[in-house]
Order: sequence, then C-alpha cells, then structure tokens
Amino acid sequence: MTEKVEYWVKIPFGPIHPGLEEPEKFILTLDGERIINVDVKLGYNLRGIQWIGLRRNYVQIMYLAERMCGICSFSHNHTYTRAVEEAAGIEVPERAEYIRVIVGELERIHSHLLNLGVLAHDIGYDTVLHLTWLAREKVMDTLEAVSGNRVNYSMVTIGGVRRDIDEKRKRIILDAMKYYREVLPQMEDFFLQDPTIEARFRDVAVISRRVAVEQGAVGPTGRGSGLKDDARWSERLGVYPDLGIKPVMPQDVTGERPHGDVFDRAAVRIGEIKQSIELIEHALDQMPDGKIKVFAKDNILVAKLRNLVDGEGIGRYEAPRGELVHYVRGKKGSDKPLRWKPREPTFPNLFAVAKGVIGDQLADFVVAVASIDPCLSCTDRVAVMEDRGRKRVLTERDLIKASIKKTREINPDIRGDPTPVGLGCSR
Amino acid sequence: MEEQGKPNVTEDATEAFAQELLNEFPSASVEVRENKLGRKRVWIRVDRKEYKALMRHLRALDPEAHYSIGIEQDMGDHLGFTSHLLLTWRGEALSVLVEVRAPKDDPRIDDISEIFPIALQFEREGMEMVGIDFEGAPDKRRLFLPEDFPEGIYPLRLDDKGVSEDMVKNAGHPYYLKGGSKR
Repeated sequence: MTEKVEYWVKIPFGPIHPGLEEPEKFILTLDGERIINVDVKLGYNLRGIQWIGLRRNYVQIMYLAERMCGICSFSHNHTYTRAVEEAAGIEVPERAEYIRVIVGELERIHSHLLNLGVLAHDIGYDTVLHLTWLAREKVMDTLEAVSGNRVNYSMVTIGGVRRDIDEKRKRIILDAMKYYREVLPQMEDFFLQDPTIEARFRDVAVISRRVAVEQGAVGPTGRGSGLKDDARWSERLGVYPDLGIKPVMPQDVTGERPHGDVFDRAAVRIGEIKQSIELIEHALDQMPDGKIKVFAKDNILVAKLRNLVDGEGIGRYEAPRGELVHYVRGKKGSDKPLRWKPREPTFPNLFAVAKGVIGDQLADFVVAVASIDPCLSCTDRVAVMEDRGRKRVLTERDLIKASIKKTREINPDIRGDPTPVGLGCSR
Repeated sequence: MEEQGKPNVTEDATEAFAQELLNEFPSASVEVRENKLGRKRVWIRVDRKEYKALMRHLRALDPEAHYSIGIEQDMGDHLGFTSHLLLTWRGEALSVLVEVRAPKDDPRIDDISEIFPIALQFEREGMEMVGIDFEGAPDKRRLFLPEDFPEGIYPLRLDDKGVSEDMVKNAGHPYYLKGGSKR
C-alpha cells in the first residue's frame, strides 16, 4: 500500500508586489495550487516616521503625517489633528467641520475608484481599470481646484481648516457630483452585474465574521464580513451625525447577506461612493458661514499648543480603508509630543486577509490582497540562490555597491561622491 | 459643538460602565474624559497583575469587542502599553483605553493574544520598538525592523537604549553630499 505524498512548497510573494506598486512580503506555503499558510513580513517601507515625529513640533508633524501615504493623506492629517485637538481641548468652528467632511468624502471617492480599478486590473479586466480611473480624474481635478493639490491637500490644520470653500469652488464640487451621479450607475452595472467580475470575486478570499472579529478587521473589509462599524458613525464624529451617517453594509448594495468575499468588499466601496456623494451635497447645502480656524497663523498655533497640550488624546476617523487611529501624548511647556502613534487600517486588515486566503487558489491571491486596498510602503534585502546551492543574502549596501558599479560602467565621468554612509534609515 | 438629537442614554452608559468596572476592579483607576465634540472616553489604568483579568472581563462584556490599537511608549522610568477598545455595551459604542505599565528594569507584561488575537501584532511591535517583554506571546519575531538591526537597541526609547546620534547618518541618502546646501 502506498502512502500519498504531499509536497508543501514555500514561496515568497513580494516584496515587489505584482498586483500593487507597494512593497510587502508574504511567505506562502502551498500544497499544489492551494494556499496552506501565509506569513506576513512587514517593514519594507519603514521610514521611522514615529522616530522623526519625536523630533518635530505639533505643526510640523501635521505635514509629516500627511506624507505617510499619498492616497489617504487627508485622513492621516485629519486624524492626527483630532488627536491633538482632544489633548489640547480645542473646539473647531462648525464651518471648518463641514469643510473637513467635504474634503474627506472627496478623498474617499478618489480612493475607492482607485481600488476598484486596481481590482479589475488584477483579474486582467483592464477596460474597467481605464473606465474607473478615467472617472477618478474628475475628483482629482476637483481636489486640485479646492485645495491646490491633487494629493497631499494640506487642508486641515489644528483648530480648523486652512482654506475656505467659496462659491466658485462650491460650483466646481457640485459639477463633479453631477458627473458622478451620471457615471456611477454604469460602474454599479459592471461591478455588480458583470459575470466575469462575479466569477472572479464571488467566494474568493472569504473572511468569516469570526476571523474579522479576531483580527480586528476594519472598514470595507470588516463591513464586507458583516461587522457593522464605521468610525464616523460609532465615534459620532463632528457633524457626521447631523448629515445622517450610517455604515454601508453589503446587503444595502447587493441585497444578499454578507459573504465576506472580494465581491462584498467591492460592493461596499460602490455603496460608499454613493453615500459620499450624498454627504458632500448635504454638507455644501447645510454649511454655515463663519470662521474656518481658531488660530490665525501657524506661529501663534505653535506657541499656544506649547501650553494647551497636556495629557493624551485619541483621534478616530474612518479613512477610505477603515478605522484610522492616532494617539498623541504631550507635556505642558514642550512644543513636541512625547509620543505620537498612528495605526493605519491596513495593519489589521492584512492579517485578516492572510487568514482569509487559506484554502484558496494561488491565482486568487493577488486580487485577495488588493481587495483590502492595502496601503503599505516597503526595501530590505534580496535572497539570491547561487549555482552551488549556497544561499547568499544581499543587503541594501551590496545593492548600492552593485548599482554604483553599474553606473560607473555606463557613465565613467559621473560626478559626486558615491560612498555609502552608515546604516541608513534602519532598513 | 452641540450635537443635535443626542440621546441622554449615551452619557449615562459611559458613566455607568466606568462605575461598574470600578466595582469589579477596585484597584484600577477609571476616569471618564470628554472632548470638545462631546465624545466620552473611559481611560483605565490597571496594575500589570490584573491586566489580563481586566481584558478578559472586557471581552466577556462584548464578545465582538474591537481591538483597534496597542500603543507602546517610553514614559521615563516606566514602559507603558495602552490599548484602545471599541465596546458595544447596552447598545452604545464605548471608546475604552486600558493602560498598563512596567518598570524599565523588569519590563514584563502579560500577553493578551489569546483574548484579542490581533493584539499579538501590536505586541511584536512593542517588543522591538521599546523593548517590552510580553510574557507568553506565541510569536516573538520582529515585525517591522530588519533582522540585522542591532540587538538591545529600541528605536522609540527616549533613553540611552534608543537610536544614538552616530547611527543617524544623512537620512539614509546613499550619496553623501558634503556640506549640502550650506556650502
């Protein structure tokens, strides 16, 4: 009698990710095509932002927080600001709260459209990628018209917002919303009705409700698995309760109970774009007149915060990817925080999807990871197998040396001192 | 800002929760703080001996409690670990923060990953970033730092175990631009 022999193969997936232009590494254990286990390796884009934050004042960190991520730059800035406002006891003018809602929801539209495009691209459906990203251009242009930038809007400041939304900008935003009301039914049609999309998204990377609770899944990932939570709703944040916020669940969009698969996560995003359009229109309608910030200038703000911040503050906000938390602890008399820690929604979602893909096919892994809309940033080392079977690990330093050698070969007259120094930024 | 239509139950729920928790754990310090938006949070400080029991109690109150963040920090002579939980209690979403401290010469804190599995990842971060020893954690590998990062150096420590000045060089830029813009 012969025993069945099982071959388990471990393969590294990443850090140069085939689906997303972000570095993260998964060590997959495979039985044939089936995924047995996933181990997540992070830190490929560890830039030491918390360490840098200990050496910056409250206003400088605002801009640092914004540069953690290009897609959800408003969310980080906003949540950090909320944490400082809580620690300092600053009250934000009502008009500023409305402007925060408007920019936040514009960002959500652009982020969700980006992710829907990436999902379509990962299953090889590039027509949909181009359609969604074409639609996304409109909101990017709107954001540019409102804030001056397509990314890193710098709209929020501690105690208000930096720029007002006047009649001209209001008209631009309303035009964009009109455009999305026309485009969205088409998008709903090909994401919710298309058989190709359904075949690839349905029952793929199912995150059960239990796993979602255990791994603390947030945002569309958590809601796709049936967890009814939205930080804007559960936190009763700012003017969101007045605008009638409620979590968008998959059953609101598809009409079926939540499956917790890629399809449901995409459906939640579609529903949220719709909700964002409504929120923006209501906010523009209800926005009262008045001041937009408490402190007129940044130098006054820095001086005031030195005395105002004493103790701890937590900021919670629903970023496009889920609940974002920032923590700030400060001491009276210092313009620097003693501790600032952000927790981005991808962190728990990544561990949730790592559990969710077990038992799935390897080919579905790319779309599974893209479905949580990961937002990481990552470069460490490359393992090279030599001919004789000995393993050699190339560090960052070796790679720099190799690249300098190559540059010299191509252009011997290159100027500048290429000597690598130090450990670098802890990579 | 005044929130319209906010039910009165909200305020009672947070206060009542704090009071009940205090009855259960008399040695813990429980404080309710309200921010300018009218959002109340329960800040709990607990001795590390009772930490695990408290977390188990919170989990029992709401089996679907959401563990959002674990914050490791250097507090001078102590190392602190603060967890934020979102509990649904009597139909109300409560924001609860649990802080536990350990002295620097004996930085041991109980691992709570069997109660909240995701906490393990924040504990791994706490172990490498400030050097807290989570007793009984099933996975003590590094999470963010590379494997060749020197042992015994914790980047977010504020004392001499932190990153020293001679480790910081040119912000990691591979080409050393002598003098830079000052020249």
